[in-house]
Amino acid sequence: MTREITYVEAIAEAIDEELERDDDVILFGEDVEEFGGNFGETEGLYKKHGRDRVRNTPLSEIGIAGMALGAAVGGIRPVAELQFADFAATAGDEVFNQIPKQPYVSGGQIEAPLTIFAPSGAGIGAGAQHSQSVHSWLGNVPGWVVVTATTPYDAKGLFKSAIRDDNPVFFLPHKMLSETKGEVPDEEYTLPLGEAAVEEDGEDVTVVATQLMFHRAKEAAAEVDADVEIVNPRTFAPLDTETIAESVRKTGRLVVVDETVERYGTQGHIANEIVENDFFSLDAPPKTIGVKDIPIPLSPPLEQEALPSADRIADGIESLF
Amino acid sequence: MTQNVSVDDDMARDLLEEMLRIDIFEEETKERFGEGEIPGFVHLSGGHEGSHVGMGAAMRDDDWLAVGGARLIGQYIAKGVPLPDIMAELYGRVGGSNKGHGGQMHVSDIDRKLYGHAATIGSGQNPAVGLGLAEEMKGTDNVAVTTIGDGGTSRGSFHTALVFAAYWDLPVVFVIENNQWAISTPSESLSPDSLSDYGIPHNMPTESIDGSDVEEVYRAVSEAIERARNGEGPSVIESRVVRLVPHFEGDKETYRDEEEYEQLKEEKDPIGNYRERLLENDVVTEAEIEDMITNIESEVEEAVEFARESPEPEPEAAYDHVYRTPLYGQGE
Repeated sequence: MTREITYVEAIAEAIDEELERDDDVILFGEDVEEFGGNFGETEGLYKKHGRDRVRNTPLSEIGIAGMALGAAVGGIRPVAELQFADFAATAGDEVFNQIPKQPYVSGGQIEAPLTIFAPSGAGIGAGAQHSQSVHSWLGNVPGWVVVTATTPYDAKGLFKSAIRDDNPVFFLPHKMLSETKGEVPDEEYTLPLGEAAVEEDGEDVTVVATQLMFHRAKEAAAEVDADVEIVNPRTFAPLDTETIAESVRKTGRLVVVDETVERYGTQGHIANEIVENDFFSLDAPPKTIGVKDIPIPLSPPLEQEALPSADRIADGIESLF
Repeated sequence: MTQNVSVDDDMARDLLEEMLRIDIFEEETKERFGEGEIPGFVHLSGGHEGSHVGMGAAMRDDDWLAVGGARLIGQYIAKGVPLPDIMAELYGRVGGSNKGHGGQMHVSDIDRKLYGHAATIGSGQNPAVGLGLAEEMKGTDNVAVTTIGDGGTSRGSFHTALVFAAYWDLPVVFVIENNQWAISTPSESLSPDSLSDYGIPHNMPTESIDGSDVEEVYRAVSEAIERARNGEGPSVIESRVVRLVPHFEGDKETYRDEEEYEQLKEEKDPIGNYRERLLENDVVTEAEIEDMITNIESEVEEAVEFARESPEPEPEAAYDHVYRTPLYGQGE
């Protein structure tokens, strides 16, 4: 049986169920108690689980991320929220140098089963420092498992797995999708990390897309005169290249759309994996589409100019035929 | 003037022996580094031995140590990591504590509750707060001790850790080893009279002590740990020491006043002073000290042999420990 819930409800359910299931799980971040998170993603959790398990922190991402690392090494499973993905940069040393590297430099002695989650993405007119998609920053540092969510089903199943995984996981919901609704099973479930999902079957072209771009890719697919297969990577690091390659072997064409900046973004990496390893399965050069090489502007028409639109994606698909 | 000994004779001898162990191990490290056997670069602890050993003696085996500052090896020894494990790690060999993935700056030993070191100075204190939180959540009375140098106190991350530890009254002891130099920048140019004053706005107990006196460090850190164990929250201790060695092997120390440096070597050498003190109080004899030294020298020699005989890691081992696999749910 399934029921329809919103993306933020799915997130709150995931945390709630994991707090319930495992005494070692705790949630902390700015304004996660009564306030319930900026998008309602932690609503009700504090009342239900109490202040030991759900804790407001002082305003410092350095403290949140650094404390999460120590707490995880000390044997608990912290789930730490940053209010916006952009703020990962304010805890740069913790996010880039400490968390992903301490398990490695310890020769595998240190286990850091922590999850940091942070709403990412543009589209609500939040400006250049509240709108970035940071999975290419994080994916560039081996040691992080980097996960995004596209639907409420994804959000709940992947978040629960992130909390249970023994690696440091950076989980990135998309703020534009907060109120989108979708079917979620009544019973308990998890989704595998590190595995891409073929969301729509098609024969003519593979489009790799996730989060908001997945929804735009679906619009684009309806516009074009081609049978589009859509692959949702779900986990950006490590990346399930095999599922993407398998799809391209079938379709012969590849478009990668992602909400990271085109310059050194995820699109180029994914396309390169296919070019290097599956070149002869391609009938046309791969097409990459991402955020223009500019900071995200505030004014809605400017912001939409920066982001891939359904039309840009449709043009990209058509350019391969 | 003869100073009294404030601990029992056995403990006094242990304190001296542990300081000698650090000194002899590091002298050998310096030699091996000079001969090109140890890769990377090496920071030695000369002048900090009393601070390291006093702190180590104040801790229980179940208390966490998150190492900071740049004087590291002595702290690993003071936390009880076996000498062969440390030496092999300095060599980057398979037998090292971290299988060669860490090196001098990243020796960790989770079974002995040595978290290790954040090589970006000043980033180890927030993880220490998290370690304190974990112990509290688990209902133990264990504490987390974390060290930092004078230089590291200028990082925002250090101050954030004080804010977070105070916010939940967590069992964390912050030890600032002020050796007066952040490489070549003198700590006297920092505003506080004592660097422990950084704890004052957080209403933490603070104390500034002579860190070259091993018993003084043992007393102050024990008191701070006791408060933390009893639920009385974090403390900040400034342990004032003198760096009697270069910042790293190869540093020409052109920034130091030679005359003053020579005088400090006379006055603030924790090992020489303590040795005299124990002799004057008839706690040990010269012959006993010579025995200690001979024994330690053979321990260190064995550690070097172990390191030399331990294999280099296979190149494929570079790919180990990036992720724990399979990821959750993968392949099911």
